[in-house]
Amino acid sequence: MSEWSAFSYVVTNLARFVRPNEITFSGVNSALPMLACLLAKRAYPFAFTYINVAGGVDPSPSQVPISSSDPVLAEGSRSIFANEDFYDLCTRGQMDLCFLGAAQVDGLGRTNVSCIGDWHAPKVRLPGGGGGAVMLPTARRAVTWRTEHSRRTLVETLDFITASGGMHGVVTPIAVFTKRDGRLVLASWHPGASLDEVRDRTGFRFEADGAEPTPPPTPAEAEALTALDPDAGFERDAAIRLR
Amino acid sequence: MSLGTPKIVPLRDLAARVTDGSSLALGGSFLHRGPFALVRELIRQGRRDLEVIKQSPGYDIDILCRAGALGRARAGIVAMEGNFGLAPWYRRAVETGQIRLEEHACASLTAGLRASAFGVPFMPCGGIHGSDLPALNGWKTVEDPYGSGETVYVIPRITPDFAIIHANEVSEEGDVRVYGTSHWDRIMSRSAKRVLVVAERVASGASFRDQPELTLVPHFLVEAVSIVPAGAWPGSCWPHYAVDYPAVEAYMDDAPGVLQAHLDTAPEAREAAHV
Repeated sequence: MSEWSAFSYVVTNLARFVRPNEITFSGVNSALPMLACLLAKRAYPFAFTYINVAGGVDPSPSQVPISSSDPVLAEGSRSIFANEDFYDLCTRGQMDLCFLGAAQVDGLGRTNVSCIGDWHAPKVRLPGGGGGAVMLPTARRAVTWRTEHSRRTLVETLDFITASGGMHGVVTPIAVFTKRDGRLVLASWHPGASLDEVRDRTGFRFEADGAEPTPPPTPAEAEALTALDPDAGFERDAAIRLR
Repeated sequence: MSLGTPKIVPLRDLAARVTDGSSLALGGSFLHRGPFALVRELIRQGRRDLEVIKQSPGYDIDILCRAGALGRARAGIVAMEGNFGLAPWYRRAVETGQIRLEEHACASLTAGLRASAFGVPFMPCGGIHGSDLPALNGWKTVEDPYGSGETVYVIPRITPDFAIIHANEVSEEGDVRVYGTSHWDRIMSRSAKRVLVVAERVASGASFRDQPELTLVPHFLVEAVSIVPAGAWPGSCWPHYAVDYPAVEAYMDDAPGVLQAHLDTAPEAREAAHV
């Protein structure tokens, strides 16, 4: 049985949100969701449509690019489905699963990607609005990830509400949250961590009934990730630590 | 049959059309197929108080901030991407008040451009509900006048002074061909007052007539074009070349002389110096 690394935990648990026969999207600044979508294509015995910000529709990229918006992600594509296309797809309610970045996430699954501190006098100016404000409320499901699980990333109160509407899922190096009755609840935790540790490192309150240690990676998942990152370059670049 | 007027000019002359204070919709996305040669030429010519209008700027907005050429920005998401993270000089420019930011979602910026392209004063945009952005930007809602009960945000018209696009190929007359995704270039070309293009190379007018469906912007929308091979450096221009990551890494070094060295080693530097 394979064991998790912090990196494989995030990528694989993002992939586990992909469902059969759906349209799934990965965007800019999103190397981990890009890997998750490519992993799902390799590891899971079902069909789904993978579209990405490079315009790719079920592409067969000759290499896995460092930039998740690299035109390589449209190689072998059967169409160029460009930026306006996938935003319109989302706002008219046909985007099944959308991976969206976040700097802070609150217990309602709302996100801040705008600033740390006051917007008008920010301590840190973050990348900004991006897809979230439009896609999070309009996608059927949206999922985000944080490579740092801490009280400064998973917060009770956002410094700024960039996007509302509520994440369906949140994956961190030690936990997987999903939405239930409008709030994030713990679905499972990294077997190398514990429920107490997740509570201790999370800024928002959450329910955890039914949560359990995350099942280990399947051989198919582990093989797919190894094939996508054979020399562990992405794992090194991501530099994700359990704690 | 008219062949139209040749529109190819040196990069220096293309940049000279952009005056201080102009708003620029810059094509491409992050490190991919951006009009970076023209952006650098604007810096060499000492342009000031420019505005960037772009859903996903990165290197372009960062280097304009670094050179002190930018005064304002309307942007969706700003980052260097590809392991480089935040755009550091842009970040500093916002944090210190050097530039004034109007923060958008990518699609709200597109809605503003669509309003301009469609010839109407505002454009509905899906989503946005529950975000702090509308209060920040003064965006208003309208209730569906046809009675569905839906309320939708409307974004005011955004008309850039220029759309500036980096293309794969152009005709002598200024028809524009792009391979791979067009990012936001199409709506930019329809919303701006003037369209300037930098291209990798000239292709025959006959080739445009053979496959007109590959033409992203027809010549009559285009004011002028410059030919700059590798002009999207250090970014990519599919399928000609990939991102030059060592060059981006060298650019990120915050040391004296780095910006000038970067400008001097750019592919168009020879043209700028000798043409």
